[in-house]
Amino acid sequence: MNKNYIILMGILILLAAGLLVLPLKNNSKQLDPEKLMWDIVQPTRYVSTDEVAKMIIERDPLLVLVDVRPTEDFQAFSLPTAFSFPVDSLATDDAIPALTFDKRNLVLYSNDDLKSDQAWIIAKRLGLKNIYVLKGGLNRWIQTIIQPEAPAESASEAEFNLYAFRQGASQYFTGGSISIEQGPQAEVNVSRKKKAKAAEGGC
Amino acid sequence: MHVHELNPKKTMVTMIIFVVVIIIGLVTLSKPRLNYAITPEETVMLVGSEEGFVYPYELEDILNKTIDTIVLVDIRNTFQFGRGHIPGAENISSVELISKENIKRLEDLKNAGQVVLLYANNLVEANGPYMLLRQIGFDNVKVLMGGYSYYKIWKDKLADSYSDDSYFMGTADYDFAEVAKSNSVATNGNSNSETKAAIVVDRKKKGKAAEGGC
Repeated sequence: MNKNYIILMGILILLAAGLLVLPLKNNSKQLDPEKLMWDIVQPTRYVSTDEVAKMIIERDPLLVLVDVRPTEDFQAFSLPTAFSFPVDSLATDDAIPALTFDKRNLVLYSNDDLKSDQAWIIAKRLGLKNIYVLKGGLNRWIQTIIQPEAPAESASEAEFNLYAFRQGASQYFTGGSISIEQGPQAEVNVSRKKKAKAAEGGC
Repeated sequence: MHVHELNPKKTMVTMIIFVVVIIIGLVTLSKPRLNYAITPEETVMLVGSEEGFVYPYELEDILNKTIDTIVLVDIRNTFQFGRGHIPGAENISSVELISKENIKRLEDLKNAGQVVLLYANNLVEANGPYMLLRQIGFDNVKVLMGGYSYYKIWKDKLADSYSDDSYFMGTADYDFAEVAKSNSVATNGNSNSETKAAIVVDRKKKGKAAEGGC
């Protein structure tokens, strides 16, 4: 009997020692590469310029815009409410705290989707959640929101509605004047009035 | 020790159960199949260097077999691959890229000193899988700039694409600050000064709203 005890105790101590060593192996909260790959191949991280424009105009409290371009570019031009977080800053220790917003949606943007996508992959690996990428980046922002192209005459009503929204948004973001021959102008004005009301109500 | 002696059988059983539980725990402990080989900091550096990007004109030598250490891998889906691909490329769609067999294949290629050149329809599509493979230790993986869509346009004159730069990504197409100042929807030739005046008015309005609110 005594011998059995000693053998069993030996096994227990060995296993306990093994357990002590184990946690060192996966010591970080980083996302498993397999899961990361799965996220990478999904297009769900992309949000369109129209969606973001709408959120900015509506002052959506859940939207956090992150500019991943170099600081100089951010200073020259940035989207309203965005803050600057160059890709290189992801290498610092306080990257995660700086990008952690409880339940709010982080939308990364750069000139197009390359840098923002790269930043997204690294941020995702670091374990951040609710992060998205502005599809097409600032280049598409200019093409669709600031300088929207009129749809062809045969285009669907949805396309015309989208165009009307974009014209209104363009005016909102540039403060310029719109002068088009017919209909759309009225719609643009309507959306502006709505904005004003929303602002008043908010404050 | 004397407590054990009171009921040796019970103690024995408890200890055996203890050992069994720990062993089961160790066996079923999920160990990630893949592990990161480089740190996030190194990944940031990788992204900054663009060292793994291959220019479209470099394809010329690869396709002529002047260089024979490069394996082209098309990571689009089989359907797109079937509709057209770069000659000599093998098809591993991105969802299957890290399956057991394909990881083994990639390891074999790495050990054989071969460079794996990934491409998809464009650079951004292939960039994610490229970055992931790099992060799990496949430093022989590179990615084709421009992707298949660019190749399709230039396939007969790849060497000429040396002087073309439309496949470059990450650059600004506009002077954003300039473009955002003036609204180009105004197509009927409003003078610049008028547009500028409009901007000023609008900004003042915004300011008022903020003041009122707070």
